[in-house]
Amino acid sequence: MEPKVFVVIPAYNEDSILRATVSEILKRGYSIVVVDDGSARPASEVLAGLNVWCLRHNVNLGQGAALQTGQLFALSRNADIIVHFDADGQHPAELIDRVIEPILNRTADVVLGSRFLNPVDARQVPFKKRLVLRAGILVSWMFTGVWLSDTHNGFRALSRAAAGRIVIRENGFAHATEILDLLRRSKLRYCEVPVAVHYSEYSASKGQSVLNSFNILFDLILRRIFH
Amino acid sequence: MTSIQAILIGCLVMAAILGSFIFRARLMYRLVGLLLLLTAVTLVLFPDATTALAHMLGVGRGTDLLLYFSLIAGMYAILLLYLRIRDLERKITEQVRAMAVRDAQFSGSR
Repeated sequence: MEPKVFVVIPAYNEDSILRATVSEILKRGYSIVVVDDGSARPASEVLAGLNVWCLRHNVNLGQGAALQTGQLFALSRNADIIVHFDADGQHPAELIDRVIEPILNRTADVVLGSRFLNPVDARQVPFKKRLVLRAGILVSWMFTGVWLSDTHNGFRALSRAAAGRIVIRENGFAHATEILDLLRRSKLRYCEVPVAVHYSEYSASKGQSVLNSFNILFDLILRRIFH
Repeated sequence: MTSIQAILIGCLVMAAILGSFIFRARLMYRLVGLLLLLTAVTLVLFPDATTALAHMLGVGRGTDLLLYFSLIAGMYAILLLYLRIRDLERKITEQVRAMAVRDAQFSGSR
């Protein structure tokens, strides 16, 4: 039987770019769950007529919370593989095949997209952003003991079993490091695959600012103290 | 009594009355509040008492001792509040998530 692949897309005020992103994925025949994280204009309006599941948080909770909601829903629809995908059009839809492949081959339970495995992809990342991401790699390693070539990349795939064990509690952007933490504790098998990213002016404006990375750091420290 | 003592005592009493209203159903809180009020008023009326205590602990002035303690109390209060907020956030997340999953719609079917 064909494995059921669900692509979970957290969206907050993405509007037209969301429709374009979703259309690209639909062409490839995957099921899509859009989690509208309390956008001003409901995503169900933006996506009217497209064959996707729309879930809406009636208050804005954050990207981590939206991913967890989508994941929970996909599991309830018997998803075999869950893909995390950014709404802002920075991930090419044709790479979903590559990201889920290690799970299909049963060589990994969790696959993480990396912008830094392939030098060509890495050069796509603006210099300032590259510095911050490199620092993020170091911080993630300090907190989770998992050394990766890239962190805070929103492109991931999880097997059904992995998704049941990786329960995201960090509502905000700290979820990316939290996932690594859970990954290490759960002893799930993981691997990285190179993914290209496309930074448009749009995704740059929607992306996390450099200052926000300090926020993530504080979240992680507090998490260490209070959990 | 100097005027600063009158002002401080007035503020303390007002805070105590307000707190008493807020914690209407909690006898324990009210009793602790009353104890705090009496201690504070005593210290305001006899400032030399704090200085004597400060000397015992190796601090030069009573006001410095109070400053250190109030800073620590303030930090502690912030941390407790942060825990409460996190807990509230978790509960809200659970509710919002349950609603989102319950009301999931497949947009193409309309």
